[in-house]
Amino acid sequence: MAEPVIQFDRVCKSFDGRPVLRDFSLSIEKGTFLTVIGRSGCGKTTALRLVNGLISADSGRVLVQGRDVAGADPVALRRGIGYTIQNVGLFPHMTVEKNVAYVPAISKSPLWKGEERRKRAAELLESVGLEPGLAGRYPRELSGGQRQRVGIARALAARPDILLMDEPFGAVDEITRRQLQDEILRLHQEWGITILFVTHDIEEALKLGTRVLVMEEGRATQFAPPSEVMERPATPFAAQLVRRSRDFAPRL
Amino acid sequence: MTAMGELIQEIFALYAGRGGWFLGLLWDHFLLSGQAILLSGAIGLLLGIFIAQRPRLAPAVMGVCNVLYTIPAISLLGILIPFTGIGNKTALIALTIYGIMPMVRNTYVGLTTLDPDILEAANGMGSTPFQALLRVKLPMAAGVILAGVRNMVVMTVSVAGIASFVGAGGLGVSIYRGITIYNPAMTAAGSILIAALAVLLDLMLGRVEKYFKKRGS
Repeated sequence: MAEPVIQFDRVCKSFDGRPVLRDFSLSIEKGTFLTVIGRSGCGKTTALRLVNGLISADSGRVLVQGRDVAGADPVALRRGIGYTIQNVGLFPHMTVEKNVAYVPAISKSPLWKGEERRKRAAELLESVGLEPGLAGRYPRELSGGQRQRVGIARALAARPDILLMDEPFGAVDEITRRQLQDEILRLHQEWGITILFVTHDIEEALKLGTRVLVMEEGRATQFAPPSEVMERPATPFAAQLVRRSRDFAPRL
Repeated sequence: MTAMGELIQEIFALYAGRGGWFLGLLWDHFLLSGQAILLSGAIGLLLGIFIAQRPRLAPAVMGVCNVLYTIPAISLLGILIPFTGIGNKTALIALTIYGIMPMVRNTYVGLTTLDPDILEAANGMGSTPFQALLRVKLPMAAGVILAGVRNMVVMTVSVAGIASFVGAGGLGVSIYRGITIYNPAMTAAGSILIAALAVLLDLMLGRVEKYFKKRGS
């Protein structure tokens, strides 16, 4: 078995006395595309934010590449992990190029100086399916789908081994979402990166994941390849999710 | 000829006859308010940044600034005389205290009303707190902070007009002298220059503010 790149070891986390993660354990191998699905408040976003140390566990351990997140320098940890969120959070006062170059800039990366920066940003924009000509634009001049792509390029700029995505395609239209899904599948195959992808859309979870994690009330109730989740849903909730995706029929 | 026409004529006669004196006063005024603007700008900005990071302290600091701001300028000058005497120093301290309030308020508001998604992104990508402040928060709050600067600059230039009551220099000298020797034209001549200086600075800063507001949207 390959070495796990992310491990949750009996993690508990509560907010204001309300438990969000209960005794949560999980081991994710390198190169996995893990989609995490569950209702709002089931703890999926919490699990994601524990990986880059935006929040810390009440008990239990989170290991990233074998090291305990609790003992790591959060700044160094986060620079090595790509992060995208639903509303992207592009910096409105920076051009697309500067947004993409943000992590190398704050890390003072010598690889991203002057002319090199322009070249590398253009390459990244192309690899997420954008015209390099957009580099000089500001985020407000872009469409929703373009912003998402810039957000992904920005998350990938420092060549992270891990990419965390929190409902990244939740705020774009259906057609754009399909395109972005295909794009991220391609990037996963080309870069061999480990991806944790939170979604509430079962079709998206089944389409993208090499593994699907079903979460209910702070617990992992099924962790399996998508085909297995489809054929043998482990809980009534999983069965309901899968059924809904199968019973899709137009209104008459 | 009307009284108004006469007054205007007298004012122009004053500018023509005593141009050097007025230029000197204008320069003194500019220096005095400029120093106060730099001081309250720096202190207000730092204080605003400080309380934006420590929200618990914010109400107390803002409260004190608010109280200081409500003291009429002329009585603030009076209060200071026993401690710092008369002259430019007292005027500078009073103007600085006065200008801090709009700076603190706008810096604090600008820094605490930023889009949380953007801050989440800045944090999640591994910015140090200082990098997040310098590269993300301050540039995004620049429009609001500049509105405070503009407010403060106009106010300082105007309030500096009464600084001559505590023996400081500036265009207030001509206002004060006009009152004591009963020469309305001299009072008006000083006031007009103060107003002109304030309007000019306001227009310039308005341009800068517009640029940053547009960029930050």
